Amino acid sequence: MPLSRSPSPIPGGGWSSPGLNINSSGQSSPATASFSGPNGSNVTWESARLKSQGISGYPSFSTQNQGFFTRHMRRISRSLPTFQVSPDQYAEKDKPGRNKWNAPMLDMIRGMVARIGRKWKIRMLIAAIILFSYLLFWLTPLGYHYRRATWLGGGQKFVIILAANVGGGVMEWKGAREWAIERDSVRNKRKYVSRWGYDLEIIDMSTKKRYAHEWRESWEKVDSIRNSFRKYPKAEWVWWLDLNTFVMEPSYSLQDHIFNNLEKHIYRDINEYNPLNISHPLKGNYLDEASQNPQGDGDPGSVNLILPQDCSGFNLGSFFVRRSDWTDRLLDIWWDPVSYEQKHMEWEHKEQDALEQLYTTQPKINSFPNGACSDNGMDPRIHYNQNDRDFVVNMAGCEWGRDCWGEMYNFRELSYYLNRNPWERFKEDLIAVIWFKLTGQKVKL
Amino acid sequence: MHFAYPARKSSNPPPFLPRSSRISALRRNRLKLVAVAGLSIIFLLWLFSGSKTKASPQRIITGNPPVVIVTAFEEKTVGSEFIRNAKSNRREYAKMHGYKTHLVSASDYDLNGSPLSWAKVPAMRHAMAKYPNARFFWYLDQNSLIMNPSLKVEDYVMSARKLEANMIKDLPVVPPDSIIKTFSHLKGDDVSFVLTQDKEGLSSGSFIIRNGDWAEFFLDTWFDPLYRSYNFQKAETHALEHIVQWHPTILSKLAIVPQRLINANSKSGQGDQYKEEDIVVRFPGCTTGSSLSEVQCEEEAKRFLPQWQKAFGLS
Repeated sequence: MPLSRSPSPIPGGGWSSPGLNINSSGQSSPATASFSGPNGSNVTWESARLKSQGISGYPSFSTQNQGFFTRHMRRISRSLPTFQVSPDQYAEKDKPGRNKWNAPMLDMIRGMVARIGRKWKIRMLIAAIILFSYLLFWLTPLGYHYRRATWLGGGQKFVIILAANVGGGVMEWKGAREWAIERDSVRNKRKYVSRWGYDLEIIDMSTKKRYAHEWRESWEKVDSIRNSFRKYPKAEWVWWLDLNTFVMEPSYSLQDHIFNNLEKHIYRDINEYNPLNISHPLKGNYLDEASQNPQGDGDPGSVNLILPQDCSGFNLGSFFVRRSDWTDRLLDIWWDPVSYEQKHMEWEHKEQDALEQLYTTQPKINSFPNGACSDNGMDPRIHYNQNDRDFVVNMAGCEWGRDCWGEMYNFRELSYYLNRNPWERFKEDLIAVIWFKLTGQKVKL
Repeated sequence: MHFAYPARKSSNPPPFLPRSSRISALRRNRLKLVAVAGLSIIFLLWLFSGSKTKASPQRIITGNPPVVIVTAFEEKTVGSEFIRNAKSNRREYAKMHGYKTHLVSASDYDLNGSPLSWAKVPAMRHAMAKYPNARFFWYLDQNSLIMNPSLKVEDYVMSARKLEANMIKDLPVVPPDSIIKTFSHLKGDDVSFVLTQDKEGLSSGSFIIRNGDWAEFFLDTWFDPLYRSYNFQKAETHALEHIVQWHPTILSKLAIVPQRLINANSKSGQGDQYKEEDIVVRFPGCTTGSSLSEVQCEEEAKRFLPQWQKAFGLS
């Protein structure tokens, strides 16, 4: 029986198994022999026998750690199963159950850890940390809360207002397609918002009694923007979105896409793209320099309104306003009975407020699908461009003679298609294509 | 293999080299540790840096000069003598307290054919562009004279304590029965626009604006081309009454003070009449353009000429 060490643990009692004290057992200490059991005669006999045979285990000039086995004994022995020797099993040592493999888990792990080299220990620690943080940030809501907190990810600073149910209520019945559009659009925004920790405010734009005596659409926008600022006290920017918009790239955060580098994404000088032919820097001998400068004061921190333009001028299907005194005044002045009476576009008149009025166009934030204004053709700054991975698509005006639901469906599928994960790409772009080439059959994996 | 002795050292040991740098003294793994620690600190900083949104710093107004007096003269309606007197009246007052004046002609500004009285708004805006560090801008129309130069406007009218004591709270903005009333819980420091009422309504002949973003916004709004083209009966005064009643962002900065504080009338009937020690006397309704009224204005001015010259110590 190749026992590697004596099963007798107590020097003063118990028994010692004969034949275990041979030198090759790995116990290289010569002292073992002197107290290897109560029956010391045994030992003397043993040593005498060895002496007579001329085999001496202990060379006179022995150095430590000589020979393969003595050097690697510990490592080899750790890899062997150990036996649990409990006192009650001692008495029945002849019973077959005694030798069963009874290594406790903790011991095994400890053994495994002891066997691993230092370098690997560090590597495994790093892997464990990565795994742990993956679990922490992706499988728990911690990531969501991180992105939401104003002092970390800053998601709470952004509120998306989605104008749903436009003209609903009294004006018309909604058909299946309208419901489908609404469902898809809302789901799209919900997903986006829950991914980045923003807030979503869906407002009901149905024609209300309040305003029914006179149609004041912009007034309603003003009301709901004000309400959202009140409802979300941490919100800094409000993003107004029409129902027939679709966030094509949910992996873009607003912070990364626009606000961290605001000065690069906006232009304050409307002459850069000016479909309304607004004479931009107001000239007047009474105005200060900042008001006459086409760039305003040029400080991105003073931007309070980000407004996209399409081929027919400002587009209010998607715009940002920031919580500030300036916005408060803008919202206050936006709808004014005198201006309203004169049937002027409120936006044209706003421009003349000179100072901080910003003409901010962002091709990437509000791209139109082709056909929204076909006379302009394909203007890459305005129209949605699949290769540029534009952020939001706005199907403005699709309720007049175009198929909103069809467009919405197309863009939804396109968005899914563009944002497939690597496994889906592997399946669809490689396996399915190979399969098609081999068999001539299209498969959906 | 073991050698009995270490290899013999060279008998000509190399001279000591000076340390190339401090960092070479650190051991290699110490360096590694420092690098790892540095990287993790940077990572933590990034993690907790949060999202940055820059806000533009508030413009600091130093208050030099403390007050700018603005007047837009309509030269065609009054005589040159009258204008010269009014100008010297304002200049003397400004000189006494270190103020500045911005005395311009109403025809300097392009009003697109709207009445000349609109010129007060671009004149104010012009003064704000010219003196960006002034604390207050006081518009005083041409038919008025400063009578008591010992009073400093920024203390006598615009100090927070005085304003809180003087402003008329819960008063219909446009008399007699507008449902829009002045705020009843307004702090003196929040007031950016001080004016008075007379019998006709708001009086835009004398008002004080505190410099700042709000002031620019307010003047731009007031000067909106849509208001100018709307043909309000009393031009800019009615436009002012309109925006004050419709836009709470403007009403919340407005304080109406007793008329004699900055806008005493020379005659009773249209409002409170001037008494001794009042800072200003104004002759309202004398510039209607007819020849008779011209005489009226100049006569009124002549009546007060010795008084103010005596008060200024000029005569």
